[in-house]
Amino acid sequence: MTSPAAHLSAVQVPRWAFAVALLGLLITYLVLQENGLALGAASETLHEFFHDGRHALGVPCH
Amino acid sequence: MTTTYQGLALRGLAAGGIAGLASGLVGLFVTEIPIRAALLVEESRAATEGAGHSHEEALVSRPMQVLGGVLAAVIVGLAIGLVFATAYAMARRWFADGTPFHRSLTLAVAVFGAAAFLPWVKYPANPPAVGDPETVNYRTVLYLGVIAAGLLIVYGASWLASRLTHLTAPGRTTAVLLAAVAATAVVLLAFPAPPDAIPADMPVAVLWQFRLSSLAQTATLYVGIGVVFGLLVDPATRKTEVKASAAA
Repeated sequence: MTSPAAHLSAVQVPRWAFAVALLGLLITYLVLQENGLALGAASETLHEFFHDGRHALGVPCH
Repeated sequence: MTTTYQGLALRGLAAGGIAGLASGLVGLFVTEIPIRAALLVEESRAATEGAGHSHEEALVSRPMQVLGGVLAAVIVGLAIGLVFATAYAMARRWFADGTPFHRSLTLAVAVFGAAAFLPWVKYPANPPAVGDPETVNYRTVLYLGVIAAGLLIVYGASWLASRLTHLTAPGRTTAVLLAAVAATAVVLLAFPAPPDAIPADMPVAVLWQFRLSSLAQTATLYVGIGVVFGLLVDPATRKTEVKASAAA
């Protein structure tokens, strides 16, 4: 078995990995924080649909 | 063995989906109980005051909001799983002498501490019928700020650990933990107190049942990602591959 350090340094992280991580953060933002900044009027329905989830995951809410 | 970023990202998605679903089920069976009690407070308030938040019920029905609560945990789990896999792939300094499972779990616990437990301590989660709509943007800035500060402490701790390799492992861990505790204390003192008072008609028992349920949900999400991702990337969980790589 190769050592864990060798195992990890063998992973080549492509530049677009940053884009993938940003996409993850953007989705998290849309679900938990969207207050009308990005989606406008449609956000109110989205906000209310995820309302229990927002509260339950500890995000500030009105 | 997982040696490509794509492989790690897929495992991050799988871990996030499983942990998100587990977190969503904790929400469905545990957190929904104090949420229902808090909505009753909101309703009785609206009944005595006349107008109020009654438009909310009309926009999305309660069963849909309960479904949305589970779905939110699953979607956030998938998204955090992707971010987690990327951080794992990039964090070469994190306990380079540990097994992949140990590294995954350690990173997950550290991220839970920074992104969920620290904001929970400074700005405890509140059920519906507590927040003041006037201060929601200010509270959101404080909440995101304390998370950013927490993640900075985690990054700083990993940097410090990489600079203290001349110490023994227990000595290094102790030094890094002391530095992290000191930095956390500074953050807790530096950030302002939560702006909203808890309304008098919100029962303290409901408030704390909700807060502890919320903490259980975020802990399930983050620690779950660390455990499942660790199981998926650690070659020790697949004995045949360990033998194959040992023979190679």
